Amino acid sequence: MQLALVGLSHKTAPVEIRERLAFNGDALRGALTSLVGREEISEAIILSTCNRVEVVAESQDDRLIREFLCEFHRIPQDSVSKHLYSFRNAEVVRHVFRVAASLDSMMIGEPQILGQVKDAYRIATDAGAVGMHLSALMNRAFAVAKKVRSETGISQSAVSVSYAAVELARKIFGDLSGKGVMIIGASKMGELAAKHLKRAGVSSVLVTNRTFERAVELAQVFEGAAVPFEHFTDHMDRADIVISSTGAPHFIITKTLAEQIIHRRKNNPMFFIDIAVPRDIDPMVNEIDNAFLYDIDDLQQVIDANLKERMKEALRAEEIVDKEVEAFCSKMQSREVVPTIVQLRDTIEKLRRDEIERNRRHLKDLSPEQQAAVDQITKSLVNKILHTPIEQLKHLTHDPQGPDIAGLIRKLFNVKPQ
Amino acid sequence: MHVVLLRLALGLYFIGFMHSVLTTLNKKQTFFRPALAAMFAGFVFHVASIVLRAMDVRYLPLTQQYEAFSFFGALTTLGFLIAYAKYRIAPLSVFAFPLIFIMTFVANLFYDPNPSIPPVLRSNWIYIHTPLVFLGYAALFIAFAAAIMYLIQDRELKSKHLTRFHHRLPSLEVCDDLAYKSLAIGFPLITLGIISGALWAQSVWGVWAGDAKVLFSFLTWFVYLLLIHYRLIAGWRGKKAAYLSIVGFIGVLVTFLGANYFGGLHTF
Repeated sequence: MQLALVGLSHKTAPVEIRERLAFNGDALRGALTSLVGREEISEAIILSTCNRVEVVAESQDDRLIREFLCEFHRIPQDSVSKHLYSFRNAEVVRHVFRVAASLDSMMIGEPQILGQVKDAYRIATDAGAVGMHLSALMNRAFAVAKKVRSETGISQSAVSVSYAAVELARKIFGDLSGKGVMIIGASKMGELAAKHLKRAGVSSVLVTNRTFERAVELAQVFEGAAVPFEHFTDHMDRADIVISSTGAPHFIITKTLAEQIIHRRKNNPMFFIDIAVPRDIDPMVNEIDNAFLYDIDDLQQVIDANLKERMKEALRAEEIVDKEVEAFCSKMQSREVVPTIVQLRDTIEKLRRDEIERNRRHLKDLSPEQQAAVDQITKSLVNKILHTPIEQLKHLTHDPQGPDIAGLIRKLFNVKPQ
Repeated sequence: MHVVLLRLALGLYFIGFMHSVLTTLNKKQTFFRPALAAMFAGFVFHVASIVLRAMDVRYLPLTQQYEAFSFFGALTTLGFLIAYAKYRIAPLSVFAFPLIFIMTFVANLFYDPNPSIPPVLRSNWIYIHTPLVFLGYAALFIAFAAAIMYLIQDRELKSKHLTRFHHRLPSLEVCDDLAYKSLAIGFPLITLGIISGALWAQSVWGVWAGDAKVLFSFLTWFVYLLLIHYRLIAGWRGKKAAYLSIVGFIGVLVTFLGANYFGGLHTF
């Protein structure tokens, strides 16, 4: 098995270059067919996302893939070559494992990449571009990604403001089904947080805004109800979670107000999320029993702590990948080298027997003992000649160079699978 | 034989105890699954030990201090296993396992090979009074542990510095719910326990006799009554309820452990 990978990612190329090398749906299929149509490339998969374009192939030569990429997109090679990286064999395995496990992502541990890699694999399989080598590689990559996800915490804690809000809400309320959220003011971030909360199970959404029309619009998006801004406080006791992001220059939720609301709610806890700058909610609200207030800096602090944790977990993930790469490569190598040993022995043994057979006529005058001696001498000659090459091959089963040398030996002795 | 079984149980509980210690030190679940399995196995041996003892003395084995501690330890394990089966809160183990271990350990210390059952305890009331009280205590212990978890989680959320422990703890709602439900189970049990104790006392002495233990148990009962009252009427929950629940459980400990040293009817 000879693996080659050529690609570029957010780490090596700006978006202007990445978009010029990207493959969209139809081009992708065409590209796969044209790749495996070449004699030197037997299998290929193309991964094309907004952050990376990568071609992994069963091929001796990565230069071919570079040429192909540029030809296909009609870009002069020198304009992109400094952005491209290429890997061979074990390095390909490592890279594919790391990408699938989301260790090479812009946001380490983000879960989408695995789905994208799976899609790329499926498209290539449908296009008939995948054989046993790449399918072994990719299936192992999926298993490694799953292992990394379950054994380390790299995808565990929230690293965006809206997810951090959901995570904190879960720590307060546990199950979010049956809970209500109130959105005060219409901002992108507030909307996003509400969307994630809704997806996490929050059942009712109230929206209020200075311009009532905007509130109605937003309420429709969330299948919720709009509330006039003048009396939003009357409805606030129905909300377990309050997301505030108005442009108000002063606090719109004071400590006294929050106390009244909590009292009306019979002390059921409330989670206030203040993503407005300047702030909408008096920080003193956090001192009320059963009220939890997070402003944008607090959320950022949670995210920073989570990120630090993620980086630590990523180190553990790298260790898992290291082990997996080694295991996969040595399995693949012994899969190539071991048959070579057997077939080499068989080939030479066959030569010997043919030769004895051909000279049977000359040997028939010899006594049985002498015939046996001839047989023995040829046998031990074959063994002596093959001894060193076979010993060497055995050592090579766990060497990355093994497949190359095995290939050379096959060529030299004209060894073919029987 | 029952002592061997009890010591086996103690050895297994020790694994749970070590789990709690290491989890607290590492701020990270440490070998929880093996510890849980060990606790379960320990519980089986423990129950077997109590059953054997009962067959030995042909009596509910609750008349000795050794037996009382052992019985309480087993009930706490049972309480934990039930709460865990329902809520899957692994961190509860951090509180429950050491208590179970210590109770069983103390039981071992107090072991007296030649028991004599005090005549005053030779009454069928022992089958009612003691199990009720002990079951109640076990439930109130779970409420206490839930209250502690609530307070830790509450503090982390308020301070906005979330440690690793925070990720392992259940949500505030679950802690509060667990505390409330355990209280709802534990309170009727100790109430009935106290009533049965009074009736027992009456049947023996004809009067309501009081000693330190009776006094403390009344005080404790009153604390829990207050807690129930505040929860139902004043809508108390969360932090305030958690504090009162802790006060109540301190009362339980004083009643259970301390009262013997003050002298009185419960000193056997």
